[in-house]
Amino acid sequence: MSVIARVFEEAGLPTVVIALIKEHAEKVKPSRALFVPFPYGYPMGKPNDADFQHRVIGAALNLLRRSQGPVLEDFPDEAGPTEFYQASAVTSTEDAIKKDAANEVTGLRAFYERWIEDGNGRTAVGLSGIPQRRFRGMIRFLQDFSMGEETDMKERPQDVPLPQYVRYCVDDLKAFFFESRMAQRPQDSEPELQTWFWGDTAAGQLVAAIAKHMVDTGDEAMARVANGIAR
Amino acid sequence: MPRLDQLSEIQRQSTLYFPCLENDTAPWAPWTKELSNTKVALVSSAGLHLRNDRPFKGGDLTYRVIPSDANTSDVIDSHTSIGWDRTGIYRDLNLAFPMDRLRELVERNVIGSLAPDYYSFMGAQRDPRKIMEETSPQAAEAMHAQDVDLVLLVPV
Repeated sequence: MSVIARVFEEAGLPTVVIALIKEHAEKVKPSRALFVPFPYGYPMGKPNDADFQHRVIGAALNLLRRSQGPVLEDFPDEAGPTEFYQASAVTSTEDAIKKDAANEVTGLRAFYERWIEDGNGRTAVGLSGIPQRRFRGMIRFLQDFSMGEETDMKERPQDVPLPQYVRYCVDDLKAFFFESRMAQRPQDSEPELQTWFWGDTAAGQLVAAIAKHMVDTGDEAMARVANGIAR
Repeated sequence: MPRLDQLSEIQRQSTLYFPCLENDTAPWAPWTKELSNTKVALVSSAGLHLRNDRPFKGGDLTYRVIPSDANTSDVIDSHTSIGWDRTGIYRDLNLAFPMDRLRELVERNVIGSLAPDYYSFMGAQRDPRKIMEETSPQAAEAMHAQDVDLVLLVPV
């Protein structure tokens, strides 16, 4: 981001950039940068906290008062979760291995619909083009794919290769599960949500199995996609 | 953060050894306006785009245009990195793309107006040369054409 900020400045556009990694901002030297001590994914600090987000933006805009640069200032307050669990950090429960992800989808549907209603239509689901009502079919497709069987979905655009399309489906599945769970248990912390998905759900096991299958094929392009699915 | 001492060992190593460009000086476009009279554009590296726009692919060095009057429900992400926690932006897109916050700043007369278009790239690129040489200069040109006075850049 700091690299792009420099290009804009060189083109005569004043910039203010939020920096998540101070060590990088010190090297790249964007013109005006506010270092924020938040985790990846949390550049404004706290979700659903407009006042806090305004404080971050305000601190960034204040850097415009400086007459020379580069400027790199620290935002004073910490925010955001301190843990982020990916698949390999979570132990699967026996229960999760026995369950069927398609039945989980059916069980979560009412919570997902509540999530959409409460969020005025906002959902991160939408990359695959498969409507949520057909997610049971998407699960079957992903299960077949993870077992190396020949399979496809009619929604896949012709110019999107199958492994890439699998990733879009996985992204939709993750969003569906997390959003449903957040509607069901709004107080759950981020590490609790991640532990649930990777440890307690059959969908989490399926996603990990897809990534493993992709790596096991030995195909380099497939392995790169796998790296964006689970690790 | 991520403060390096709070990252997992794998993430700490990949952050420390990320091939990051080193510069001795910074370019400087002087700031001469009043904020309350300023047209602001927002630029993200979170791999965001409109729901019906084409998703990002691995190594994608292009950008997507997001109209500033879009709703947060119109915007989704397809960033190929899973090295960041999505649950935050599932809860609130403004966490990484503060569209509503900028609208509020216009209503409060803190800033003058919003550029018609915002932009999203996909960050965490190992070889950003095309972004530096082609796609971000194109975005700069597009912003000049819309008389943008100030760019706020937000990573993820």
